[in-house]
Amino acid sequence: MRKDFFASIGLLLIAAIYYLSSVGIPTSSLDEPGVPGPRSLPTVLAGILAIIAMTLGVRALVSSPARGGSKEEKEDEAPWPRALGMLLIAVLYLPVASFLGYPIAIFLLLVTVAIYERRKPDWRLFAVAGGGALFFWFVFAYMLGVRQPEGIFGF
Amino acid sequence: MLFTTPLAFAALGGLTWGVLGSSMPGMSASITMALLLPFTYTLEPTLAIVMLASCYIGAEYGGSVPAILIRTPGTNAAAATILDGYEMNRQGRAGEALGISLWSGVVGGLWGLLMLILMTEPLSRLALQFRPTSYFGLGILGLSLIASLTGKSLLKGMAAATVGLMVSTIGTDPMSGVSRFTFGSPDLLEGIAPIFVMVGLFAVTELMTRSGVKPITFAGAGSIRVRLPKLPMMRKIARAQGVGCAVGSLEGLMPGAGGTLASFIAYNEAKRWSKEPEKFGHGSEEGVAAPETANNTVASTALIPLLSFGIPGSNSAAVLLGGLLIHGLVPGPRLFEENPEVVIGLYAGSFVADIAQILVGALILPVCIWLVNRPKPYLSGFILALIMSGVYTVHMSLFDLGIVMTAGLLGYFMRYFGFPFLPAVLGVVLGNLVESNYRRSLALSGGELSIFLEDPISIIFLVLAVLIVSASLFNEWRVATKARKERTA
Repeated sequence: MRKDFFASIGLLLIAAIYYLSSVGIPTSSLDEPGVPGPRSLPTVLAGILAIIAMTLGVRALVSSPARGGSKEEKEDEAPWPRALGMLLIAVLYLPVASFLGYPIAIFLLLVTVAIYERRKPDWRLFAVAGGGALFFWFVFAYMLGVRQPEGIFGF
Repeated sequence: MLFTTPLAFAALGGLTWGVLGSSMPGMSASITMALLLPFTYTLEPTLAIVMLASCYIGAEYGGSVPAILIRTPGTNAAAATILDGYEMNRQGRAGEALGISLWSGVVGGLWGLLMLILMTEPLSRLALQFRPTSYFGLGILGLSLIASLTGKSLLKGMAAATVGLMVSTIGTDPMSGVSRFTFGSPDLLEGIAPIFVMVGLFAVTELMTRSGVKPITFAGAGSIRVRLPKLPMMRKIARAQGVGCAVGSLEGLMPGAGGTLASFIAYNEAKRWSKEPEKFGHGSEEGVAAPETANNTVASTALIPLLSFGIPGSNSAAVLLGGLLIHGLVPGPRLFEENPEVVIGLYAGSFVADIAQILVGALILPVCIWLVNRPKPYLSGFILALIMSGVYTVHMSLFDLGIVMTAGLLGYFMRYFGFPFLPAVLGVVLGNLVESNYRRSLALSGGELSIFLEDPISIIFLVLAVLIVSASLFNEWRVATKARKERTA
């Protein structure tokens, strides 16, 4: 239930930010009187989310905390810093791909993810990553003809 | 059309990927399809849709492979198969269990396809009578399905749907042409394509959640071969397959129910109707046949509400809708009139995939077992590389990858706090339909809300929506009251 309370705060924040951003939506010369304009739905949605968030928060505060919890389920899931680390690797791919180009970025991505997943770096890892990068380049750039990010080396 | 080479290749390719992808534990049918989705962008629309639908069919069988071999369902719908499939494996009958699963998949798939062909077109003809008010009512009905898709908390489902609707408002306003929430970025002017939200929510979130988690492996790799059932066994499991077909047909039509629920109900009903109910849970062949037939039937029947009205009732159907949308195809009667080749191709491709399942399923089992046992560090890397390469293919833009990562982060928090994904996807998909038709209707009536009560189709949809939400609220209240009574007792 503590989770629900924090979730309600998060939702309330989303509703507030969304509402504040919706205030900046300009009115259109095509708007007709009595007919909802481009700002109407966003305003309503922000209101609905705020109400849901408050209800969730109040319900979390008044209900008794759940006992035990599903420990078995938790063992199947990564702790949040590790999960976010995986996302960070994916995010770092974006600047690396635009700077070093697609094949090198894919090679580095395969190596980094493997090491992050607790694989010891050895020649086999680099060979698999090299083969993988070549495979992806062959399928996407060569076979499908997709212009992947080229980077400073021009490939 | 039926046996043209590219179509057959698309069906076989999708089927093979579906079996392989979902044979990896944790890769549900929707994740397997979401990974394939960007890859289909460069294909012709018909081939792309055939590939995705065949992938869905293959994924339902693929999910049973790790369920039988390592007691871990590859897809949620294969969870019921564990009960007797794994028991058969322990008795040294893994090949037989896989054969029954495969054969039941073919039977369920073909039955589901027949239902799809018979029911979709007549239902979609109803949509020809639709006015903006009807579309608004349909959109609201679609959103009301959230009530049956939320699992434990209706409130959380509603929150997820609202966030999805918020995402759908990003971009150029469909009525006035005004930019909303674009923050000056030209990349956001066209809005956020549902495909990116789905890949982020399903695939990236799964990668994040399973990061560092030790996988289960299977030692007896080389010794297993699929053993298809012979005639006496086919007769023996026919009743269970009949139950699976019936349950799968009904559940597929009900958006939100999906293959998981269908397979558990089918298992339960097959046990009730069986001549040997005592064998269930101890390696019963019928216990494998019923759920596998049901979830394969759902793989086709879940497409009925999608193709008729554009309402995706399951995660996998939502991904297929993403596939239709990125090719500019709008489900409903216009799809049958303007792009009949896509619909016929879908039927033909599904037929090819259903039949080819036997051969593909048997041939690539060693590859599935090999994949199940691949070191996870490599698998995770290759899946992430596939996401990066595939998503980039859609618009050749790194910005799209940023959207996918953001959706992944959102999905992670949603999962952490127990918010369901499908309502959010429904919100993204249906937001535009609801908003533009609501405003169009009011523009026609000069702002009079009574216009929604002048259209009988709109009234039917709105009343159905109210009934669905009320029933769900009542159910939630009943469960909460029961739990409170049990606590006080």
